[in-house]
Amino acid sequence: MNGRPASSHTPASAEEPVVFVVDDDASVREALRSLFRSVGLRVEVFGSAHEFLQSTLPNAAGCLILDIRLPRLSGLDFQAELAKADINIPIIFMTGHGDIPMTVRAMKAGAVDFLTKPFRDQDMLDAVTTAIERDRVRRDEARMLSGLHARFATLTPREREVIALVTAGLMNKQIAAEIGIAEITVKIHRGHIMRKMAAKSLPDLVRMAELLGIGPASGGPQT
Amino acid sequence: MLPMMRSQSMKSRRSAEQWLLGSMALALAMAAFIWLVLGPAPAAPAYRTAVVLLVASLLTSLIMMLRVGNTRRQMEAALHGRARAEQHAIEALRHSEAQWKEVFEHNPVMYFMVDAAGIVLSVNTFGAAQLGYSVSELLGQSVLKVFPTEEQPAARSNVAICLENIGKTHSWEICKVRKDGSSLWVRENAKAVRRLDHQLIVLIACEDVTERKEAENALRQSRIYLAEAQRLSRTGSFGWRVASGEIIWSEETFRIFGYDKAPSIKLETVLQRIHPDDRVRVQQTIDRASRDGKDFAHGYRLLMPDGSVKNVHATAHAVADASGGIEFVGAVTDITSRKRAEAELHEAQANLAHVTRVTALGELAASIAHEVNQPLAAVVTNAAACLRWLDREPANLKEVRSIVQSIVEDGNRAGEVIRRVRALVNKTADQKAPLHINEVVNEVISLVQHELFSHRVALRLELAPALSPVLADRIQLQQVILNLVINGIEAMQPVKDRPRELVIRTRQDETGQVLAMVSDCGVGVAAENADRLFDAFFTTKSGGMGMGLSICRSIVNAHGGRLSASGNAGPGATFRFTLPLHQEDST
Repeated sequence: MNGRPASSHTPASAEEPVVFVVDDDASVREALRSLFRSVGLRVEVFGSAHEFLQSTLPNAAGCLILDIRLPRLSGLDFQAELAKADINIPIIFMTGHGDIPMTVRAMKAGAVDFLTKPFRDQDMLDAVTTAIERDRVRRDEARMLSGLHARFATLTPREREVIALVTAGLMNKQIAAEIGIAEITVKIHRGHIMRKMAAKSLPDLVRMAELLGIGPASGGPQT
Repeated sequence: MLPMMRSQSMKSRRSAEQWLLGSMALALAMAAFIWLVLGPAPAAPAYRTAVVLLVASLLTSLIMMLRVGNTRRQMEAALHGRARAEQHAIEALRHSEAQWKEVFEHNPVMYFMVDAAGIVLSVNTFGAAQLGYSVSELLGQSVLKVFPTEEQPAARSNVAICLENIGKTHSWEICKVRKDGSSLWVRENAKAVRRLDHQLIVLIACEDVTERKEAENALRQSRIYLAEAQRLSRTGSFGWRVASGEIIWSEETFRIFGYDKAPSIKLETVLQRIHPDDRVRVQQTIDRASRDGKDFAHGYRLLMPDGSVKNVHATAHAVADASGGIEFVGAVTDITSRKRAEAELHEAQANLAHVTRVTALGELAASIAHEVNQPLAAVVTNAAACLRWLDREPANLKEVRSIVQSIVEDGNRAGEVIRRVRALVNKTADQKAPLHINEVVNEVISLVQHELFSHRVALRLELAPALSPVLADRIQLQQVILNLVINGIEAMQPVKDRPRELVIRTRQDETGQVLAMVSDCGVGVAAENADRLFDAFFTTKSGGMGMGLSICRSIVNAHGGRLSASGNAGPGATFRFTLPLHQEDST
C-alpha cells in the first residue's frame, strides 16, 4: 500500500519515521494528524516554528510539513533558519491560493514538494513517502560519511599524505619520490590505509577519498 | 335784553299810579273851589264845609303828592339798583361766555357741529388748526373734506348712525387727513341733537389718538412679525405657571400640536397629543422640572389625529413670578423635517459606508479565501482520514466519530466566515445592540490574517478583559476597526528597517467609556494633515478614495463616541475611538 511508506523499507535507524507538522491552524494540523495516524505513520504536530525548534527531535527519518504562511516566522524564513542550523529535514510546503511567488522561492530553497490547500490525501501521503525516503537516503549517506570520517581520523599524518597521493593515481615509486621515503614504506602505509579505511579495492578507496573531498593539493578532507 | 325791557315798563306803571292819585286829589280840590265860587248861596255852614273840604283836599293832594313823590323816588332807587345788578349779571355772563368760548376754541379737543347733510356749522379753532385749516375754511364745507377718500364712506355712515339714534352718544376711531395730506387717527364721540328750530345737528368731539394708534400698530406689527417668525421657524412659545397649572400657548404652538386656539390649555391636553411611547418620559421630565424648578430641554414625538408623527424639541427657562411661584417660559420647535433630513443624510452615509465596506472586502478577497480555505482543507483531510479509518480491518469507529466531530466544527467555522462576509456586504439598517468590543475586534482580525501576513505585519492584541458592553451596530463597528487596521497595514508598507507591528488595544478610559486604539509603526501623521485626516476625499495614498476615515468618524459620532488620530512618540500613528457604555435606561 502506497500509504504505508514505513513498512516498505527496512528501518535504517533505530526509530520509525516521523512526520512533523507545523501549522498555526489547529484544525488543519489535527486533520493531518488523523490522516497520518490512519495510515500508521508516527506524527508530531506543532503550532509554530518556535515550538518545533524547542522540541527534541527523535533520531529517525522524517519530513516536515510546513504551512507557508506562519505568523511571526513565516514558512520560508523557517526553512532558511533550519538550513542555517544544518537541519536537513525534507520540507513539504502547504500553500493557499495566490502564494505562487513564495512557492517558487520554497522550491528553490530545496523543498521536496508543495501542496495547495485543500489537497488530496493521496498527494500528501505520496509527498510524505517521497520525503521520508529522501531523508532515509540522506541519513544513510550521512551515516556512511560520518563513518568514513571516523576511519579517516585514525590515519596518521603520513598515511593521510600517502592516501591523497594514492587516490590521485600515483605509483608507489612516484609517491616515494614525492614525499622522500622508501617505496617499501609506501607499500606498508598503503596496507595500513586499506585496512583502516576498510577499503576493498583501490577504486573503493578512490570513491571514499572523493566523498571525503581529499585531493592531492589539499592533503586532507575538506570539512 | 329781555329783563331790561321788563324793568322799564314796571317803572312807568308805578309813576302813572302816583300821577293818578295826585290828579284825583287835585280834581277834588278844584270841585270844592268851583262849588264855593259858583255855588247858589253861600250859606255859612255849607260854605265853611266847602272851604274845609277845599283845604282838606288841597292838603290831601299835597300829602299825596309828597308821598307819591317819595314812593316814586324809592321805587326809582330800587329800580336803579336792580338795573345795576342786572348789568353785573350780564357782564358776568358775557365774561363766562368768553371764557367758555375760549375753552371751546382752544381745548385740545376738536369740536365739530355738522348738519344732517354733513355741512360744518361750527368748528373750534383747535380743531381746525389740528387739521391745518382756519375755521373759516371749514365752515359751510362738507365735513368729508377732512377724511381721506377711503374713510369717507365710514364717516358718512357714522353720521347716519348718529342721526338714526338721536341723543345717543356714539364713538369710533377713524383716520382723518390734514390739509397738507398727512393723516391722523382720531377717536370721535358724537351725538345728534335737535335744535330749538328743530334742525337736526350732529355734535362731534374728537381726540387725536395717532400716537396710541401708532403704538398699537407697532405692537400689532411686532406681533405679526413674531407670529410670522414663529411660523417660519416652526417654533412656538409657551408659558407654564406651575402652581395654577395654567399653560399659555402661542399661535404656532397650537398649530404644532394641532389644537384650535384657546386662551389657555391643560397639561392633560398637552400630554394627550404626545406619542404614547414618549409620554412616560415626558411626564417624568415635566414632573422633575416642576419639582426642581430648573430649566429643562427634551425632545419627543407627537402623534397627530391623522396618524402622522411629528418630532418636536422643547426648551424651557424657569423664572420666579411675582408671587414667588415658578413659571416656565419656553419654546417648542417642530423638528420633523430636520429629523427627516437627518434620517436621509444617515441613509446616504449608510449607503456610502456600505459601498466602502464592499470595496474593502474586495481588497480582502484573498484574506477571506484563506479564511474559508483553512477549515475547508481540514474538512477534506479529515474526511480522507475517516475513509482510511473505515477501510481498516476492523474499522476504527472511535477515531471516525471524533474526526467527524471535527469536520462538523470546521464546516461551521467556514460557514461563520461566510456569514461575516455576507453581513459586511449586506446593506443592513442600524441595529444597535449591546455588544463586547473585543468580540468585534476578533471578528475583524479573523478576516485580515492574510493582509497581515502578505504585508509581513505582526499583530499584537492587548484587549482588556471583562469590558462592559457598548451599544453599537456590530457591522458598523467592524467596519471602523477593519478600516483602521487596513489603514495601519498600509501605513507600514514603506517600512523596511524595522519590524512592522500593529497593536490593537481596548480598555475602559477615565471617563468610563470604552476606548479602542489601533497603533502602527508606519509613516505616521504629518502635523499639517492631522486635522484633515477625517475629511472626505482626503487621502495620501495613490489608490485611496479618501472615504474610509471620514466614514469611520461619522459612524463613531453616530454612536456618541469620538475618533481621533495622533502621532506616536516613536514611529507611526495611533487612531483611537471611544464609545459610551450601554446603559439600561438609555434610549
